[in-house]
Amino acid sequence: MAINISKQFLFRKLHQLSGIAPLGFFLFAHFFTNSKALGGAEKFNDAVGELHSVPYLIFVEWLGIFIPLIYHAVYGLFITWEARANNIAYPYARNWFYTIQRTTGIIVFFFVFFHILNFRFGLIPGLNTTPVAGNAEIAFALVAEEFTRLWVVVVYVIGITATVWHLANGFWLFAVDWGIVIGAQAQRYAGYACAALGVALLAVGLNAMAAFIWKGGLLGSEFWGMYR
Amino acid sequence: MSTQINPTNEANISRGTAMGTATYAAPSQTPDGTTEAAQRFVEIKIARRDNPDSAQRWETFRIPYRRNLNIISCLMEIRKNPVMANGERTTPPVWDMSCLEQVCGICTMVINGKVRQSCSALVDQLDQPITLQPMTKFPNVRDLAVDRSQMFDHLKRVHAWVEIDGTHDLGAGAKMSQEDVAERYAYSRCMTCGCCLEACPQYGGDNYIGPQAIAQVRLFNMHPTGKMTRDERLEALMQDDGIQNCGNSQNCVRVCPMSIPLTKAIYEENRETIIHGLFGWLKR
Repeated sequence: MAINISKQFLFRKLHQLSGIAPLGFFLFAHFFTNSKALGGAEKFNDAVGELHSVPYLIFVEWLGIFIPLIYHAVYGLFITWEARANNIAYPYARNWFYTIQRTTGIIVFFFVFFHILNFRFGLIPGLNTTPVAGNAEIAFALVAEEFTRLWVVVVYVIGITATVWHLANGFWLFAVDWGIVIGAQAQRYAGYACAALGVALLAVGLNAMAAFIWKGGLLGSEFWGMYR
Repeated sequence: MSTQINPTNEANISRGTAMGTATYAAPSQTPDGTTEAAQRFVEIKIARRDNPDSAQRWETFRIPYRRNLNIISCLMEIRKNPVMANGERTTPPVWDMSCLEQVCGICTMVINGKVRQSCSALVDQLDQPITLQPMTKFPNVRDLAVDRSQMFDHLKRVHAWVEIDGTHDLGAGAKMSQEDVAERYAYSRCMTCGCCLEACPQYGGDNYIGPQAIAQVRLFNMHPTGKMTRDERLEALMQDDGIQNCGNSQNCVRVCPMSIPLTKAIYEENRETIIHGLFGWLKR
């Protein structure tokens, strides 16, 4: 017998999945590459150059990042549009997470749009018109130059924090939406695990940004046992 | 004035309230039994609506305080003499009630901003002025009465029953483990009151099957005979406005007056629908 499911069910499950794979895992890879800036400008530029040599790059970029990203972002806005937040009447933690997930989603939507135009395409007149893609040898300089402006730093701190919150809570949401974590106690433990992951990711993300402002990031690359 | 409460008199009061013919304690008697010169009042603001198409308005009432008042007994008091606090006469407020012991669910309304049953909402535990509003997620018929038939339609949509074919004796049913019996008992306590849907930030305009119906799917999918039509219920959950619209705010389980593990039911059915809906075709 054919299985009768609605498009809405399929689209919603794809939305939940796309946030984890590929987008969530892409963020790990992205933070990994960015963190090479802790080792200095040359190490970061080499890492960007390395990405340029990814085989079948255009497919990897479009199928692995841009298409899932556009799908997750646009469908996410539809979901957010349907929300009827009621946190004042029902001020429970999970209900706040519900509203914060949607709020950070909107912040991330605008932040990532800006971030991609800015560094991937170099299409922000008055700030940056040179894409990092294709200019690996000056990648570090391009980013470091932008971070001399305080407002850019503020935008990135807000953007990175919102992104990390959205992903860390997103892991929890995926686990319950796909019926992996079911019981209340298991959900509590899963919540702690996602919180720990979120704190670690936030530290890594912000430290990578700091590496473009202060040499070696917040504590210096030696602190983390990186060899020259 | 006596400082002791006469237990016989107390019994008369509660019985009198249930019958709709109240016998009152002396007006100057306070909950702790001490004498107070001034008469105490309960201030109640009710969101009124004359018919489904007319605008909502607030009316304020002040009724004499007595011990152990609940919202139903306040409304009965107002109904006897529907005069507002400003002296203006109005129509008696309309609301639904039946069991008066929080098992029928029909007297559900929004009290001081939170959804709950008015029969078990005690004045002594509420901040004043007490505000009474009809539930917002269902069509408002009049005053505090709403039409909750959406929820009964949801039960039909998900086949929330066990099929039996014919009227002949089918013999004893299959045995269930005690663990399953206990879990099913929890789901069976649902009284279709609507608290979960009212508190759900996803629900509105009948756009989501809701925790109430999903818990009933769980109830009947756990039943040995009900299991035989499991896929039918799962596929009903996967239609438009189905289980996928859950936003995981978990308000449902927090407001459920029967303490039903609604979120567990939703996540169990998430697992079942994922396995059946997304991976089911791999079995073919």
